Amino acid sequence: MVARNKQRTGVALADGNVPARESAPGAETVRIEGELANTLLASRTGMREKVRQWWPYYAMMAPGLLFFFIWHYVPIWEAKMAFENVRIIPPNIWVGWKNFQVLFASPIFYQVLANTLIISGMKILFVFPVPIMVALLLNEVRSGKLRGAVQSAIYLPHFLSWVVIAGVFIALLSPTDGAVNQIQTAMGFEPVNYMTNTGTIRWVLVVSEIWRSAGWDSLLYLAAIFAIDPQLYEAAEMDGANRWQKIWHVTIPGIVPTIATLFILNMGMFLSADLNQIINMQNAVNASTIDIIDTYVYRMGLSTGEYALATAAGLFKAVIGMALVLVSHFVSKRLTGKGVW
Amino acid sequence: MASQSRRTPLERVEYVLIVSTLLLLVVFTLQPLLNLLALSLSDPSKVAGFSGLSIFPDGFSPDVWLLLLQHPNVQRGIFNSVWMTATSVCIGVFGTALMAWGMSRPGLPGRRLIFILVLVTIVFEPGIIPDYFLMKRMGLLNTPWSVIMYKAVSAWYLIILIRFFEEIPKELLEAAELDGANPFQTFFMVVLPLAKPALATIALFYLVLHWNEFFRAMIYLNDQSKWPLQVVLRQFVIEGDKIAIVGANNVNNNLGLAQINIRALKAGMILITILPILAIYPLILKFFTKGTMSGALKG
Repeated sequence: MVARNKQRTGVALADGNVPARESAPGAETVRIEGELANTLLASRTGMREKVRQWWPYYAMMAPGLLFFFIWHYVPIWEAKMAFENVRIIPPNIWVGWKNFQVLFASPIFYQVLANTLIISGMKILFVFPVPIMVALLLNEVRSGKLRGAVQSAIYLPHFLSWVVIAGVFIALLSPTDGAVNQIQTAMGFEPVNYMTNTGTIRWVLVVSEIWRSAGWDSLLYLAAIFAIDPQLYEAAEMDGANRWQKIWHVTIPGIVPTIATLFILNMGMFLSADLNQIINMQNAVNASTIDIIDTYVYRMGLSTGEYALATAAGLFKAVIGMALVLVSHFVSKRLTGKGVW
Repeated sequence: MASQSRRTPLERVEYVLIVSTLLLLVVFTLQPLLNLLALSLSDPSKVAGFSGLSIFPDGFSPDVWLLLLQHPNVQRGIFNSVWMTATSVCIGVFGTALMAWGMSRPGLPGRRLIFILVLVTIVFEPGIIPDYFLMKRMGLLNTPWSVIMYKAVSAWYLIILIRFFEEIPKELLEAAELDGANPFQTFFMVVLPLAKPALATIALFYLVLHWNEFFRAMIYLNDQSKWPLQVVLRQFVIEGDKIAIVGANNVNNNLGLAQINIRALKAGMILITILPILAIYPLILKFFTKGTMSGALKG
């Protein structure tokens, strides 16, 4: 009520001002405005000059700025839905933290949270080291042609969509004709339907992630290895170091900063666990095992129509995720001088 | 050369092991794709028991590819994907370049604030539901523009381009100014030609990003006629919706496409979807690799 009254007084004052201004002689207004401009110019020297100099750049930036405003800042405003009772016929009603209370009281939320943490943990543990090893191996290849050929082959999956990769893995893991089960049965084992087995589906996520990213991610480490001072290797050779000693004492210490940066940045993505991957690997049988926060938001919001609850879950992830990314950025910046940006 | 003569038998064994491990990785990467290619090119009568291990077609027939490429849903998917991706890439490259140019000027008033506002968008994403409601409110739902415009300017690529523009030698820009060029002329006649490699890299980034986009298209577009190829593929291969490609009438009466093994059709669909990526793959290797390497070195 108080706020509304204040607003009204504000409007009344503004209304009162208009006739006063109109009644003033025109010449005087111009003179006052001129004085005003002069004082402004005096206080901020070169304001007009600044505008004259920089408006073309702002004009060129306008489309981009507009994009960022619409696609990144308006959604933040839309996210207030998380605090509302969303009704089919507007307006929505403000309910404060109620949606979050409902969310934190539901057992499913803890299940998807646990799934997210497990899947991210498995990826950090089993996917993260692979590109490092690939880079170390690639660095040992003496023939540039051979190395180039291997690189061209193993980078490819990085540029394929998860729809494609899921299609490839469904074929690869088919219990009847898939390559994996063909090898398995040839060796006398029973075939396994990896895609619908709740015990194996998370490993499918790990292996398909390796398939997609191990090659490409090795490039970052390889770049770091190539940046190591060759004199260090020469010195190690003079000391009689063999291949493994050189790797252990020169190469690995040389790429530790890169490893640390990428590890910390990976930690910042802990709550994501890759929606695009999982949404294409999910099926009726394995759904609950690989249901993560993002798939929960998607299902609750766009299939079930629990908009407020879904937005609340999304916002929870966004806020914790932001904290993780910021912490990891500043830790990384501190330790290695490199951050997210 | 000196080290070559000193190589011991043990070192040779080690080297063979290293190279074989890498070759194994190559096989692991390529075999599944080659298998699908072989499957899609095999004689339809021999596809039924086609092994997942083989990389050679059993017999040869282009039938699967021809039937798929003549299929109206596939053709529409290709058409939608191509024009939507092309539009997104154009908007993305120009929007990003123009904004990066302004932001790379050291004296720009408010530069720091804009920088922070862009970084915030990397760190904080409120999620898919607010995005969905924004699309709805703007009346873009179920129009291709929802997918085309969705985050057409990427904060990441913007930062890459700003870094690039910052390194353009000052003398060149000053020379242009002395010749009486205004900022627009400087941008279009001096900066853009200099930035060609960087722009090509950004264009490729956007191209791969938009060609592979399926999630937004899946949630924003209801009409199947508006679907890009990735969503058509998903419906057929991931959701297992045979009718999407084969047609209800064909399934029931075992006509036309229904007589072809569904596995071969799926393999063909996957390959059609990745064909454009394969076509530009040499360019990708050239630009992406260089971009990533230099970025990593510069830090």
